[in-house]
Amino acid sequence: MICAGIDAGSRTIKVVLLDANTSRVIGAGVTDQGVKQPELALALLSRVCSEAGVEKVQIESIVATGYGRDALDIAGTTVTEITCHARGVREDQPDVRTIIDIGGQDSKLVRMTDKGYVRDFVINDRCAAGTGRFLEVVASRLGVEPQDLAGMAERADSPATISSMCVVFAESEIVGLLSSGVTPENIVAGVLSAIASRIAAMAGRHIEEPVIFTGGVAMVPGMDKALETALGCSVAIARDPQLTGAYGAALLAAEANRFP
Amino acid sequence: MRQSPRKISLAEWDTRYAEMKKEGLPEPAYGGRLSRHVNNGDYRLKRLSFDNSPASLDLWNFLLTEDERLHESRKAGRKIVGTMKDLGTVPVMAYAFPNITAFYPDGAWWIPCVMEMSAGLLRVADSLGVDESFCPVRAMLGAFVTEAHFPIPDLLVCSVGATCDDFSAIAQRLEAMGHAIVWWEMPHRRTPLTGEPSVRMPGGLEAPVDQVAFVRGQLAKIRHVLEELAGAALDDDQLSAAIRVANEARDLLERLRRLVFTAKRCPLPATELLIAEMLTIHFCSDRDECLRVLGGLLAEVELRVAAGEGLLDADAARIFWVNPVADVRALTLFEECGGRLCGTDNMFLHALDRIPSTGDPLECLAMSALSDPMVGSATDRALRICSDAKTFGAEGIVVSRIPGASHCALEGTIIADVVRSRSDLPVVELEVPPVSDAFSSSLSTRMQALVESIKQRRRP
Repeated sequence: MICAGIDAGSRTIKVVLLDANTSRVIGAGVTDQGVKQPELALALLSRVCSEAGVEKVQIESIVATGYGRDALDIAGTTVTEITCHARGVREDQPDVRTIIDIGGQDSKLVRMTDKGYVRDFVINDRCAAGTGRFLEVVASRLGVEPQDLAGMAERADSPATISSMCVVFAESEIVGLLSSGVTPENIVAGVLSAIASRIAAMAGRHIEEPVIFTGGVAMVPGMDKALETALGCSVAIARDPQLTGAYGAALLAAEANRFP
Repeated sequence: MRQSPRKISLAEWDTRYAEMKKEGLPEPAYGGRLSRHVNNGDYRLKRLSFDNSPASLDLWNFLLTEDERLHESRKAGRKIVGTMKDLGTVPVMAYAFPNITAFYPDGAWWIPCVMEMSAGLLRVADSLGVDESFCPVRAMLGAFVTEAHFPIPDLLVCSVGATCDDFSAIAQRLEAMGHAIVWWEMPHRRTPLTGEPSVRMPGGLEAPVDQVAFVRGQLAKIRHVLEELAGAALDDDQLSAAIRVANEARDLLERLRRLVFTAKRCPLPATELLIAEMLTIHFCSDRDECLRVLGGLLAEVELRVAAGEGLLDADAARIFWVNPVADVRALTLFEECGGRLCGTDNMFLHALDRIPSTGDPLECLAMSALSDPMVGSATDRALRICSDAKTFGAEGIVVSRIPGASHCALEGTIIADVVRSRSDLPVVELEVPPVSDAFSSSLSTRMQALVESIKQRRRP
């Protein structure tokens, strides 16, 4: 039985194809988000199916998640990204107690029960601080591509302090830092640290370990270390962190088919 | 005329109203089609869903015609008192006078939502230097300037001190604009010291005797001011009688809340319950009619519960809601996401709890005022929430923040921490602006995720 999970995030759409009989991922893909969400998602699904040697009609069940989930007619069910990330993480690491998910436009901290279910969660989606959007703004200001930021942070020797938690004001701070001679590398390291501080504020005073990091921003090298420093605990990166939500959605699609 | 309970749109209400009229619907003077309020600017109604009972129609019409009642009171020569911030104390005393009508100008905080910003009240507040860093209750300033929503009261009284920083600042700005205010002070309710004489108060709270005496003294001052306005003295028997009537309303509401929170199927939407709670604070400017409206709503809910009828899914997630929403559409969204109310603390539980009724009536009123959730510690408030959530069988808690409201920003985290430490209930914080359309996607994600996590927990 083939099931699919589609995570329609704010910046990218992700698809995971799952062989529900073996619980094996048989295909996955990512594409940029756009205005015509349903068409983009369908095209990505077709591509992933083709690469996996599967016909779309073979898919028994599709669960959509992410901010654009309700726009996807091809999905039989929609489930929030909180539940999907939790499900995806639980499959690989059932003992995880805290999930940090930093996506393009929001960040979430999900607390898990010892049974692997969501206990509760905090979401930041009212400002760009603490999200991937912050990194995009910084990259644009520094005249580099977002994927270049990671290498830059690793070369920092004296990370700058970004005091503002507002992206708009932080951008002004960056201009000031550049004009005072601070290197772009040190600015980028400072920005990663500012994002991590924002997440730590969401976490409150108590954070239960193990902590796992999901979402597209988890692929930025150095972000996990910045989180570890801010939270004062170890932070592991999930396997294919950008796909965790879609993977969880595919697992839920399989469960829904098995236990309707 | 009676139908199975369900939530209907404004347009459906029009159709239903026409049918009920044909069948001889008995209506109060303020009755009529619900959609007529849209013509008065209450555009938000078009985006809400409503309970379909005649009792709920009365509830909505009663709420949305309060300004008309206030103007009629003025025409009839009654004195109008604007009671501010205490939420549930001074109106009890004011309605003991036969020639006084009391209301809360604070209620203007809902106008930006109900009129979808068309009244421009927040813009007026902005121009007066009270911007969005304050609670939306700043809309009250705009209402005083435009005079389009309530008549300017003959007397303004306002509790200040441990009540609400935002409101104190806003009311001071109002006074600076030339509206004289009689202030009375509310101390921060503290835990009695060991051996210190104390009294048990509503809500299971305890306070030092000295604090109750202090508040009693403040209320005595207000009593005197009201006597001067009314041109008549208020004796203790009259005040006791007024407390008895207030308790009648609170008893009706208590029965209504208990049924709504504990019935197997939810018998009344969250919005209608919130309005019923709000009515009880000041009787919506007509004490007798308020009792009738609450009684009608309770009777309808009793019928529904007895018949096993409800209007939400039987497996709706049972959620305790903390703080009132600036946009009532959020409650409709909450129910669409699969939630039902199972307990509330809308920051005025002291106005819903019975007022003590034995002994000095002014002292009884002081005890009621001092049990205001906002004048004690956030931990006190959280403990009551834990206790009530357990009583009503809640499966999760939503802490709804009001943008700009300083107490919400401070209290939300404390309440969430205390609840997490004392129960395993999931707690989710969200923020509801006066018109939340642009945030409905993020609000529904939070609500749906909470419902999903609650349903996961139910699995064996």
